[in-house]
Parts: sequence; structure tokens; C-alpha cells
Amino acid sequence: MEWSVGEGTGRYTARVSDSEGLLSLSSLNLDGLAVNSPDVSISRANQHGRLRVEIAGASHLAHVAKLGDDWWVHLDGRIHVVRMHEPGSAEDESVEGGLSAPMPGTILEILVKQGQRVREGQALVVMEAMKMEHRIQAPLAGEITKLHYSVGDRVEMGATLVEIGD
Amino acid sequence: MTAGPFSSAPRPFSTVLVANRGEIAVRVLQAARESGLGSVAVYSDADAGSLHVEVADEAVHISGETLADTYLNSEAIISAALSSGADAVHPGYGFLSERSDFASAVADAGLVWIGPPAETISTMGDKISARIQMIKSGVPVIPGEELTVPDGADHLGTLAACAARVGYPLLLKASAGGGGKGMRAVQEPKMLRAEYEAASREASAAFGDGTIYVESLLTGARHIEVQIIADSHGNCIHLNERDCSLQRRHQKVIEESPSPAVDSELRQAMGAAAVKAAESVGYEGAGTVEFLLSSRGKFYFLEMNTRLQVEHPVTEMTTGIDLVLKQFEVAAGLPLGIIQADVGLSGHAIEARVYAEDASRGFLPCVGRLATWKTPQGPGIRVDSGVRQGDAVTIDFDPMLAKLIVHAPTRRAALRRLDTALSNLIALGVTTNIGFLRDVIAHQAFTTGSVTTDFLDSSDISGFSHTEVESTVLVAVACAAQRLGLERAPSDGGLGALDEHTGHPGDPFRTLTRSFP
Repeated sequence: MEWSVGEGTGRYTARVSDSEGLLSLSSLNLDGLAVNSPDVSISRANQHGRLRVEIAGASHLAHVAKLGDDWWVHLDGRIHVVRMHEPGSAEDESVEGGLSAPMPGTILEILVKQGQRVREGQALVVMEAMKMEHRIQAPLAGEITKLHYSVGDRVEMGATLVEIGD
Repeated sequence: MTAGPFSSAPRPFSTVLVANRGEIAVRVLQAARESGLGSVAVYSDADAGSLHVEVADEAVHISGETLADTYLNSEAIISAALSSGADAVHPGYGFLSERSDFASAVADAGLVWIGPPAETISTMGDKISARIQMIKSGVPVIPGEELTVPDGADHLGTLAACAARVGYPLLLKASAGGGGKGMRAVQEPKMLRAEYEAASREASAAFGDGTIYVESLLTGARHIEVQIIADSHGNCIHLNERDCSLQRRHQKVIEESPSPAVDSELRQAMGAAAVKAAESVGYEGAGTVEFLLSSRGKFYFLEMNTRLQVEHPVTEMTTGIDLVLKQFEVAAGLPLGIIQADVGLSGHAIEARVYAEDASRGFLPCVGRLATWKTPQGPGIRVDSGVRQGDAVTIDFDPMLAKLIVHAPTRRAALRRLDTALSNLIALGVTTNIGFLRDVIAHQAFTTGSVTTDFLDSSDISGFSHTEVESTVLVAVACAAQRLGLERAPSDGGLGALDEHTGHPGDPFRTLTRSFP
């Protein structure tokens, strides 16, 4: 199993050792290279969804919950997401040069046509979600090679809306 | 129907229908119960399992897919009131709360309207007529131009001419707007068309009225608003100010009372102006007069909200006055029972709005399921929440999940309390702004009380965030959780270990073998 924290931090693989319910990392790799294991030991707390986490001798209580491939972790007043990946799987990529919906919603307006040249930052599509409008802008200059949706369509989060080529 | 608290009042009612959802519906329904009134909720398909349905005595389903079919459907809501035996309607905020036609329809159906008279709503709710009314009453207004762009007319030509006279940068505002919806800043002429169309569309969707007007954009100003309350006997008082300067895209994020920028002299002047504004339209009920306070200490009327505000709790905490209970009393025709001199100002209160949104990605709304939702408790901590653990957060509604309000003797103490409470608010499964809120209130601009309304939009938000925990530690925690099989749902519904002696978790009165009463 591979793990990532936030975006662009690389993939970790880890080996867990269990000493009478006290868990720690016996080895840790980041993008295939060995890195120092943190000074952490973890045990089950008496309530579900909680872990006792000792970091360098200081005791913390963590709340954890798993949704899909994500472990949500509340630790020391902050909330983090640690994602599980199948070993060797690709990043959650969108189509090269494509633009995906940042949230689920409805397409309100399409401001460009197929074949049109656009400049960086130009507004391409207007979406609505939760009663607020959001503009999808070109991340780079180029030509619109494909428009996947029409006005009024409902789209899921991550759906590719527009593709831009050179 | 049993005799309620208002059975012998001039406008008696015994059961309140709340025409809203989320945390404000919960707040008002609970206030009704506390007052000894019956309570009726309405709900759409998406809300069938929501918290506000659970806390009401009775709930009426309104079918339909869109807001226009449900929470904006005045006919269906009034017939729900009549069929359920409710005899009063509280609109909450947003939705139909500032629609004068709804207020009149409620009254015409023989129901008590918990809000100001319909004529007052239409004068103040229409931002253009409100400006004109304020100019007449001698309340200072923001430099700008009242301009109606009629439907179908050459709106762009008229608008461009008006915009040129007012000057850039300017603000386009929906005449029927509120809550940041239908409001757009325009920095230069070439953006006018796109921003106008966006504002108009947002306003049409949210309020059913796309009329827009133009106002000069005051930069470096603070948003200060004054809570007022008036009865039907000619009494009108103010309950001090709230500072709502911390906003993103014209939506409030943190509100506090008192304002760090208002001294008692300015408080008196703004309070008097707010009371004058309310009296000039014969106001009744709870309302808020919003002002911009310029960097030179001059204040200008912004608009009046003829309803309860999202941020009303900070006023309740510092004055000890329950605004919803006062709304009930005034709607029943009872006198206020307090005079201006009775209104105190105790300590400092701050509210943080907890949104399901990703602050690091332009505050995009986020969806998901709240696998864990644990709210902080303790002295001076109040949570007004519309969600429970296990609830789904969908794109159907506003992304505000809850409001966290703290009260402490001083602003410094309140900030510490808020930071601690935020760090103990555990929301897992949906991305929220909780970490962002902690970063913002730790920012020097906020701790020194010098935030203006353009602070968030002009700051580099990515510079705020800081991770206190190493990624490797988080990987270790996730690995351990996975190894221990914590992804499986708890069999006891998450209540945890119960004390076998008393049946309560962690009973402090229990020692090894004995339980003390």
C-alpha cells in the first residue's frame, strides 16, 4: 500500500511493527527512498475512531475516520487527509491540458467555442454550485480542442469540462 | 391547542412554522419550544433526515427538486402552515425572509408574521428605495447612483454611462441582494458586462429579482452593523454593534461584538443613526442596519436587513438578550419591556462560521459525509449547528455547517477561547475551513483588530497555513488505523465505552467499587 499526504508530497510506503498493541513504523520510504521513521508509537484508545499517539514522548489523542481511500485524521487541533493508493498506481490525473470541474454543479455558461484560441487566465466556463458562481479559467494559452458539456448540464466533481491543445 | 405564552397578547399565536432549514431553523424551532409554543418545520426531499426536522414538533414535506419548488415556494409554505395548525410564520434568514410579498401573503392567510410589516420590508429590502429613504432621513449613504435597469431595456448602455459617472472601482449590487449573492466588484470598464451578467444571474437565482445598482467601492473600510429591535408601540432601541469586517468575496467569515474600532462615542452615534433609520420606516421586530466605517472614522449606511442575521448570537452573548424570543414577543404585539439604558455590553463575543469549503482552493464548496462531527463544549462556548454526525453535505444548499460562538471577558481571552474551541471541533469526512479559521484569527491583522473588508481578498491565503504535524507522523497514524481495522463502523453507534456501573461513559462520581450520588 502507498500513502500520500496532501498534494504533491510524494508517495510513502511503510512497514508497521506491533509490540503488544503498541504500533510504530519499522521502515519508511518516500518515492522509493528510505527516510527516517518518525518517533511515534500508536495504540488503540478506549473509544472507537480514536488512537493514542505518542510523538517524541508527548501523548496526543487522534480521531480518525475512513471514507473511500482517505483516512481523515484529527491530531493536535488540526485535520489532515492521508490517501491510500494501490502500489504503482498513477496520480489522480486529469486529461493533459484539460480542465475539470472543481466541484459538483451545473454548467451556467460556456464562453468559448471549439477551435477558439484562448489566453492564460481567460474565463472559459461558468459553473454554479451551492448558489454561488465559479469561473473556470484557462491555466495556459492554447486552442480549445474539446468541450464536453452544454449549458444546463449537471457535472460531477472532477469531470473534464474543456480540453486545451497547442 | 393549549394556552400558550401569547394567548392573551394583542396578536395571539401558539404554534410557529419555521420557513427555513439548517442551523437557523434549529435555532428558531428550539426557541419556540423553550417559549412554550408549538413548532412546525418544513423540509424538501434532500432534507428528509435533517436535524431541523428532528427538533420540530411536526414537520411538513414540500416536494420538488429546486429551491423555487420548496424553500422559496410561498404558497406551499403557507398551505403547510394552515394544514398543520400553525398560526405564525418565522422566516429565518435568506430564502423568503426579505420578500414583502411573502410577508403580506402570510398576513392575508390570517397568520402572524414574525418580522417587520411588508411595506417596511419592501422599502428597506429594495436597496435603491432604502438609499433614498436614508438620504431623506439624514443618515449618511455611500457615494453612488441609484439606477434601475428595467428588464429588456438597453441595460448595458445605461449601466456603462452610470458606471462612468460613479467611477471605478465600483460595486454592482442586486437591489434585492444580501449575503454576498448578486454583488460584484468591477475594477475596470471592460469587466462591466461579465460582472453585471453574473451578478444579475446570481440575484435572479437566489432572490427571483435580477435588478442591479451601482455604488462606489470604498476600500480599506470596516463592516460595522448595528442590531436594533422595535415594537408596535413606538419603542425602538439598539443592541450595540457587530464588526463583520473579515469577509471573503463579500461573505462574512468571522463576526464580533464589540468592534475593536468602535469606542463608546462612536457606538452612540452609530446606534442613534440606526434607530433613526429604523424609525423612519416604522420598523417592527429585530433588524440590522449595516454601515461601512471608513479608514477616517466616518460611517455610511450600507443597507438594512429586515430579519434575523446569521451573526445574531454575538449580540445575544454580550447583551444577554435572546433575539428570537424578543421577535416572538414583538410579533405578538407585546411591548419591548426594556429601554436603551437597560442594554449592557458584557465582555467580548466572537463567531466563526464553519463552512464546508476548501480555503486553499479559492473557497470552493466541498461535499461528502460527516463521518465524525464532535463539537467543543465548555464555559462561554456556543455551537449553533444544522448538522449531526453521519449527515451528508450536498451541493443543494449553502455550505455553512455551523457557527461557533465564544464569549469571554476580553477580546484576547475570547480569541484564545475561540482558537481552543476550533481545535476541538472535529469534522472528518468533509473538507472544512476550520484550520483556515485558526490561521486567520492568529494573523497579526486580526489579533490587533485592524482587519478591513478587503483583507482576505487581497491577502495571500496560502501564506496563512502552517502544518504543525509532520507528514511522516500522519502516515504512521493512518497505517496504524488501517492495521487496527478502525475503518469498520462501531457496533455501539459510536457512544464508546459505557461505565458498567452507572451506564454512563466516564462517570466521575464512581471510584473503584462505589458510586457517589
